[in-house]
Amino acid sequence: MFVSRSMTRRVITVDQAISIFEAQELMAKNDIRHLPVVDKNQRLIGIVTDRDIRSALPYSFYKDSSSTEENEKLSALKVNDVMTENPISISPTSTIQDALLMIQDSKVGALPVVDDSGFLTGIISVRDLLRAFINVLGIGEPGTLLCILVEEKVGQLKKIVDAVTEENISFGSVLVARYWDRDKRAVFIYLLTLNVVHVKEKLQDLGFELLDPMKWYLDQLPQNESPFES
Amino acid sequence: MKKTGFLYDERYQLHTTGNYHPEAPDRLSRVYEGIKQAGLLPKLVLINASRADMKWIEMVHDREYIQRFEAACRSGVNMFDSPDNQMCPETYETALLAVGGILDVVRQVMDGTLDNAFCAVRPPGHHAEANKAMGFCYFNNIAIAARYMQKEWPIQRVGIVDFDVHHGNGTQHIFEGDPTVFYYSIHQHPSFAYPGTGREFESGKDFGHGYTKNSPVLPGQGDEEYKRLMKKDLFPAFDEFKPQAILVSTGFDAHRDDEMSDIKLSTEGFSWIMQKIVELADRHSDGKIISILEGGYSLRRLPELAANHVEILLK
Repeated sequence: MFVSRSMTRRVITVDQAISIFEAQELMAKNDIRHLPVVDKNQRLIGIVTDRDIRSALPYSFYKDSSSTEENEKLSALKVNDVMTENPISISPTSTIQDALLMIQDSKVGALPVVDDSGFLTGIISVRDLLRAFINVLGIGEPGTLLCILVEEKVGQLKKIVDAVTEENISFGSVLVARYWDRDKRAVFIYLLTLNVVHVKEKLQDLGFELLDPMKWYLDQLPQNESPFES
Repeated sequence: MKKTGFLYDERYQLHTTGNYHPEAPDRLSRVYEGIKQAGLLPKLVLINASRADMKWIEMVHDREYIQRFEAACRSGVNMFDSPDNQMCPETYETALLAVGGILDVVRQVMDGTLDNAFCAVRPPGHHAEANKAMGFCYFNNIAIAARYMQKEWPIQRVGIVDFDVHHGNGTQHIFEGDPTVFYYSIHQHPSFAYPGTGREFESGKDFGHGYTKNSPVLPGQGDEEYKRLMKKDLFPAFDEFKPQAILVSTGFDAHRDDEMSDIKLSTEGFSWIMQKIVELADRHSDGKIISILEGGYSLRRLPELAANHVEILLK
């Protein structure tokens, strides 16, 4: 679960002295939205996004009504005029969880990955995290999702795992999430099978409640509580 | 009254899945009983199984896969590719008999001997991929039927309607790049049900873009939602595509009494669906419909569902 395993290694970078139009073209060509800005030693000095560039261009530019004089002025704009200096970055030895929380907290779309010596070693974007999350959920493989409501006490998951194992079914993923009732947990098991009839019966016989799939959502939280409240 | 074929053969029960599996031989006896009890047998043209010529199966499946399936079966192992796919030494032959019977039916519908037909076969097929058995399926019966039809008759456009409660991943993948076969599926939403594909944004690839259409249905929904989605997604699409023949992946597992899903279709809901498919076929394909059994596991409901299904084809 380390950033180094999920980041994009072949990161496309720019020099701060190139024009914003060159940077924009580079992003469009490579279907990316973030360009780390590095010095000649590959040390990170900033980051420029397609949004930074778009915001730097006046409305008249898009309307095709800007004067020649205006256009010349815009062509003179360099990456270092619009980039974010000393951007937040993350270490290759940070975890995916760190990256998720940092991105949520800082509201950026990507984090440059910088090693202890300040060298850029990659970039991790929301897209990379999505790929990792899809993998963690196991939804790249065929299966069926069940949601089980359990009492908050030790040993519940073991019973579930045993029941599923007795049915000779493999797990794609297991998520345990909080539920609005503080004394309960919602357990989401993604089972790599079409055949869930017997295992559903078995779980119900063990006294577990199978939740109506329309009654829950993955980010359900105890009432009156939200994450990262300051 | 239409000339309706009924493909049924006791040999389709030779494929056994152990005594703890929903895709059990009994399903077919229930289907047969239901049709018989409703007094429909004398009105139908009964067709028996026949063994498929390998060349048609190879139009859909890799030769390596077919050999692997045959070898696994002969070796006596009781599963293939996944524990979902329980099998016995007769499974391979039964799968060949299913395809062969269906191809026979296709021939009779295409040469006008029959108007339409219901093929009560096992094992089912719509999850089977070109090189992988999945979800109780080994050969993709409906895909082979479509390819056979296109190869032997001058058919440019085949329409497939799949109302099994699970998405027919195999059928979709086989035809997703092919604009001559339109695949429409309505099924329980893939975030809750097997196989996890069939999302709304899956709409075909390359030349086949726009010739795949999926209507995912949320758990707990039933007749009204099916009507709404089929009116919105299927009817206009087929009225534009104008299929020259319609193949149907008929699954009865969206029934409210079927434990395999959280969809709550009523028996009448199934009749509505089939009635509408018949109307589409009357409009575009001279009534040509070949319905092929996929899932449906409620032994209690299968008789009435099968009888109603056939009765609508006969009308």
